[in-house]
Amino acid sequence: MTIFNRVTAAVLAAALGLAIQTAAAQDKEPIRFGLCFDLSKSYTFISPQVAQAAQDLAKYTNDDGGIEGHPVEIIVRDHGNEPQRGVECYEQLKREGVFIFNFLSTPVTNAALPRAMKDGNIVMQSFVGRGDAVDGDVFKWIFPVGPTYWQQAANDVAFIKDQLGGDLSEAKIGFIYLDYPFGQEPIEILKTLSEEEGFELKLYPVPLPGSDQASAWTQIRRDKPDYMISWILAGGHVVASKEMKRNGFPIDRYLSVNWLNEVDIKNIGADAAKGILRGTNVAGGQEVPLVKTMLETLYAKGEGSGPESLVRDVYYNTGLAIYATGFEAARIAIEKHGWPLNAERMKEGYESIENFDGNGVMSPITVTAKDHGGGGKTRVEQWDGSTWVPLTDWSADYTDVVWEVIKESSSKFTVE
Amino acid sequence: MFYRLSGIHHTSYVSDSRLYKIPADRNLALFFLALGLAAPFLVGSLYLNSYMLPWLVWTAAALGLNLVTGWAGQLHLGYAAVMAVGAYSAVHAARYGLPWEFALLIGGISASVIGSLFAFAALRVKGLYLALTTLAMQFVMDWVLTHSPAISGGSHASLQAPTFALLGQRITSDTGLYYVAFGWCLLVTIFMLNLRRTGLGRALVAVREKDYAAAILGVNSFYYKIVAFATSSFIGGVSGAILVATFFFLAAPEQFSVAVSIQVLAMVIVGGLGSIIGTYFGVALILLVPGVVNGLVAEGAGALGLQLNVESLAHIPNAVYGAIIIIILMIEPLGLGKLYSNIRDYLRVWPFDQFKK
Repeated sequence: MTIFNRVTAAVLAAALGLAIQTAAAQDKEPIRFGLCFDLSKSYTFISPQVAQAAQDLAKYTNDDGGIEGHPVEIIVRDHGNEPQRGVECYEQLKREGVFIFNFLSTPVTNAALPRAMKDGNIVMQSFVGRGDAVDGDVFKWIFPVGPTYWQQAANDVAFIKDQLGGDLSEAKIGFIYLDYPFGQEPIEILKTLSEEEGFELKLYPVPLPGSDQASAWTQIRRDKPDYMISWILAGGHVVASKEMKRNGFPIDRYLSVNWLNEVDIKNIGADAAKGILRGTNVAGGQEVPLVKTMLETLYAKGEGSGPESLVRDVYYNTGLAIYATGFEAARIAIEKHGWPLNAERMKEGYESIENFDGNGVMSPITVTAKDHGGGGKTRVEQWDGSTWVPLTDWSADYTDVVWEVIKESSSKFTVE
Repeated sequence: MFYRLSGIHHTSYVSDSRLYKIPADRNLALFFLALGLAAPFLVGSLYLNSYMLPWLVWTAAALGLNLVTGWAGQLHLGYAAVMAVGAYSAVHAARYGLPWEFALLIGGISASVIGSLFAFAALRVKGLYLALTTLAMQFVMDWVLTHSPAISGGSHASLQAPTFALLGQRITSDTGLYYVAFGWCLLVTIFMLNLRRTGLGRALVAVREKDYAAAILGVNSFYYKIVAFATSSFIGGVSGAILVATFFFLAAPEQFSVAVSIQVLAMVIVGGLGSIIGTYFGVALILLVPGVVNGLVAEGAGALGLQLNVESLAHIPNAVYGAIIIIILMIEPLGLGKLYSNIRDYLRVWPFDQFKK
């Protein structure tokens, strides 16, 4: 045998070995994740990034041999934010053997939730839907891993307290919010905390979609709050930044809900946005190991599931965080009970997740049978003109106050 | 040939005022009735509970809107608000412990009261002004729902409906819920079919055609407009309640948002103003076609081996769907109902259509 032949044989053998290995992953039954997303109407500012993150993560995992040898299949469908079509998507995928769903839309999640609870199917509900679903005693099948808006608001207050030297009794905190359930949700908790800590709370409702904030900011200029907490979405931040400039409110005192991404920053202007604050449970930027891996492997080879620009967006990191958690739950479930995976085992898998941070993409979470939220830790990040700089460490504060609100709300839900 | 007639000749008033003047029409209606009754045994549970059931409930609702817009000629942009009133009051009544029969009735009546109260103010203006005033009703209702936790069910604004029950029987199976929707849609359809033959129906048409001409004929147009609003609100209210009880199982403000109002109006317009069969078609087109086209495009792309990203896959069906609506309205501006009756009229005399002229 000539040397040439030997090399060829070795290469062939290696290729064959690889093929067999991948074939093994493909042969086994897949783990299906159903993504009924709004890709065409109201949630388009986030859903493409999350879907792409899920697909990338699945591709990367499958190239690596899958989860315990089983490939991951991501099924993406559009429901156009219409509850009726969301239910249709749920019913259809359910019959195709999917038992892990994500709807990524509050109206659709609300519409599908009673069915999922009745059928006993897993709903991944991070950042959307009812906040009290973190109560695992009541919402057995719902996993809103991540902080609730209540917890985020409480953590924001803790951050402000820290910034103001640990005393809020003289402080004035403003809360600007979209005047519908999403924006109204934190009010109750802020009021409770204002009584507890003694700060003065000022409320500034703005009508949907947040493009008219002039009157709110003139009022803010008069009131001069120390910090503004903002529950506004997408383009609303851009309007707020203009109003801040006009009314002389420092942008580094503007603390946004987690819905503030690179697109908004670009629209505000990367320099003009310098100093803006954001409470978040996922690490922003491309230096996060998991994002880096995706860029270096899939996107370097041109095999990403979508345009690379979407990767440079914090909602991509959010998607990675959501699905890394889901994959981890599946891994634990299969490791414990073997195949087949079902909703019951998946639920157990979720509830066994301990101190998991997806290699630094999010706050470490510990999901338990009681707390499906994973602890609700967030941190505050600041835009420095080119990237997000974390100002604090991951933490969750005032948890007792938050859980009081959660329990009070979830106790009204009954499953028939 | 298909209709087996040589013209329509009435020899008595009774035969002139019959519901179906052509036996073939009646037979067709009976055929579809039988089909509807047999549907649970013919189609799979997926099609039954996620296509047929919402289709029938929305048809009942759209027929209610057709009463006020198609028959009485009053543009109504706040129909979803009326449905919301019905849905929320019925769910609250049922949660309070009332049986669902009464809860539905309460839903219908409260929707009717609020709908006609609003109409009382709104009907002082006409045409586009009326449309805008009804739109205001929609926004008022949206505001009330998002700002009153007592109505909407707490800070998450979702209100669970108790299990649906009729005559003390809890209905939970797909088949049972389907028959509830089917029964309600059938009731509304029968009412609407007969409306044409009543004095009320004729008065409404007179008001639609020209309200002061109707007044000269002794038809109190204001009164009949209020009646139209009250009746259609009743139908809308009960339909909203049934939608929540049999399909969503909880009520949330987004299920009755302004977009939904526009959607119902689109169903009526695409279906054909004043057309009952058209309403069935219109609802199917607006409600079900987006999902169907979505599935087809996904399948087609898969079959052709196209690697489209998820966003294009979501937007292409929307474009196709928009094109379908435009094409239909260009072919027949009077809607799908008119398209159907054109075909029917052609076939009625075919192949001897020279006799028609």
